[in-house]
Amino acid sequence: MNSYLSTVFSKVGSLLATLLVISLIIFSLVELMPGDVAQMILGQSATEDSLRELRQARGLDDPFFTRYGRWIAGVVRGDLGDSIYMQGVPISSILWRKVGHSLFLALTAFIIFVPVSIVLGVIAGVKEKKAADSIISFTGLATMALPEFVSGVILISIFAVRLKWLPIVSVIPIGQTLFQNLDILVLPALSITFVMFGYVSRMQRSSMIIVMNSDYIKAARLKGLPERYIIFRHALRNALLPTITIIGMNMGWLFGGLIVVETLFGFPGMGSLLMTAIKTRDVPLIEACVLLITVIFALSTMTTDLLYGYLNPRIRFKGGQR
Amino acid sequence: MKYVLYQLKRHPLAIIAILVILGWIFLAFAGPSFLAYTYTQMDSTFQMAPPGVNNHLLGTDALGRDILSRIIVGSRSILTVALFTSILSTILGILLGFSAGYFGKAFDTLFLRSMDILMSIPPLVLSMVVLGILGDSTIASLTLIVSIAFIPATARVSRGVLLSEKSQEYVQAARIRGESHVYIMFAEILPNTVGPIIVEATARFAYSIMMVASLGFLGVGLQPPTPDWGMMVIENRPIIADAPWTVLFPALAIASLVIAISIFSDFISKVLIHER
Repeated sequence: MNSYLSTVFSKVGSLLATLLVISLIIFSLVELMPGDVAQMILGQSATEDSLRELRQARGLDDPFFTRYGRWIAGVVRGDLGDSIYMQGVPISSILWRKVGHSLFLALTAFIIFVPVSIVLGVIAGVKEKKAADSIISFTGLATMALPEFVSGVILISIFAVRLKWLPIVSVIPIGQTLFQNLDILVLPALSITFVMFGYVSRMQRSSMIIVMNSDYIKAARLKGLPERYIIFRHALRNALLPTITIIGMNMGWLFGGLIVVETLFGFPGMGSLLMTAIKTRDVPLIEACVLLITVIFALSTMTTDLLYGYLNPRIRFKGGQR
Repeated sequence: MKYVLYQLKRHPLAIIAILVILGWIFLAFAGPSFLAYTYTQMDSTFQMAPPGVNNHLLGTDALGRDILSRIIVGSRSILTVALFTSILSTILGILLGFSAGYFGKAFDTLFLRSMDILMSIPPLVLSMVVLGILGDSTIASLTLIVSIAFIPATARVSRGVLLSEKSQEYVQAARIRGESHVYIMFAEILPNTVGPIIVEATARFAYSIMMVASLGFLGVGLQPPTPDWGMMVIENRPIIADAPWTVLFPALAIASLVIAISIFSDFISKVLIHER
């Protein structure tokens, strides 16, 4: 167990190092953006003097690393700077609520696609080359590279336009919270589910096939154990490990998908916030959003890594039988 | 060749997929000459006309522009960018992944670390932010940025296949013969790893379509007046309740192309790598 703890520590360490490099990359990327921040704040009619004054006050003419240092120091204190486009509103006052919305949407999608994909993947794997397998595998293949907005548009046309069961956009009315409007989550979450289903179910199917053909399963069959018991008690345990890895690896797609889905539905999350930030060239807001997405993504990848290590005794007890 | 035909017979879906892909390529080249309307022409008497009205086979959008023409002209840019992207990202992946796997040691460690860092920003977020910052995307900038975002994926695959070949006897023989590193990597190892690399490149083609369409949808793809499938969807999103065809047909166009390419790449991997 001791070695497991040290893995945890080294993972956290490399996570921090990665984040430092990423923050530097993000900061220098935004430097490339054409346009003058002072001009953006004061508008086209600003005089040369007032521009100079603002640049001085904000330290915009300082060397690159001074400004980077100031930004990072602020981020560490939890101060993400002020939004330019929204007239100097502190970013942290708007960001966290939106992050909460996005995470809740991601969680909803997660709760739908993980069990569905695993169960259908197991069925496909067990019924290899039968009709059920063909249908599930084909669906997975078809949805694997389907952009979220395509599945989203098809879902909207069916469930919102034609059947009128669900709202056509996912906006939260002013003065209400997300929890009073849970129905707006359904279509966005389902749109994300399609892509993830493709990856996860296919992985689950192939790892199930490998496990079902392994010696220990044959031994269990020879012992005369019921098939259901073999599948759930013996096979699934090992067949789940690669699936966990693939879920972790695809968290990146999930976050990209969130931006697309939030834009499609007008859902007030950090994805649509980042979209607005890019469209309005709001430098501090872009930096804050990208950094935060990176942090959340890195944390979720690390969690799946650690979960994998924990669930796999061959890694948990390092030095044991390989 | 006989083997391919035999495999095609066993996978009728792959035949359909190939026909769909060829159909799109044909439409992209020759389509515009059959059309009754150009993609920018505004039919002011038939705005948001449903499919079939006044020779608009798939209807018109809010400005009275012909949806079919816009879809067909839009297929050109998406096919071009996606094709270039899958080729460029595969080449860059081979160069980087092969060198890392071949030279190993510090170079490999540096490679793996940098890939970890590049991978820690989701590819769509990375390309969207960079393209948004650069402004006015062109075919060249779109291809380059998406290819860079794909490098971690393609380079890791290339590195993996190189590592599985590296210890083969023919590589050692070439080394003893005193061949140069470049020769060994590209004249000895590369021909032996073509199978998995082609499989990866065709799968990459599907992801490129997905990515390019999504970037267009997010408004950082090719700029108007060039019609773009993703952009058509977001442009017409506000009128989805009144004119669903304006959104549905471009979405279905993307779906048909992406699904066909996915099936095709699955077929390729079954043909080139042993059937599971």
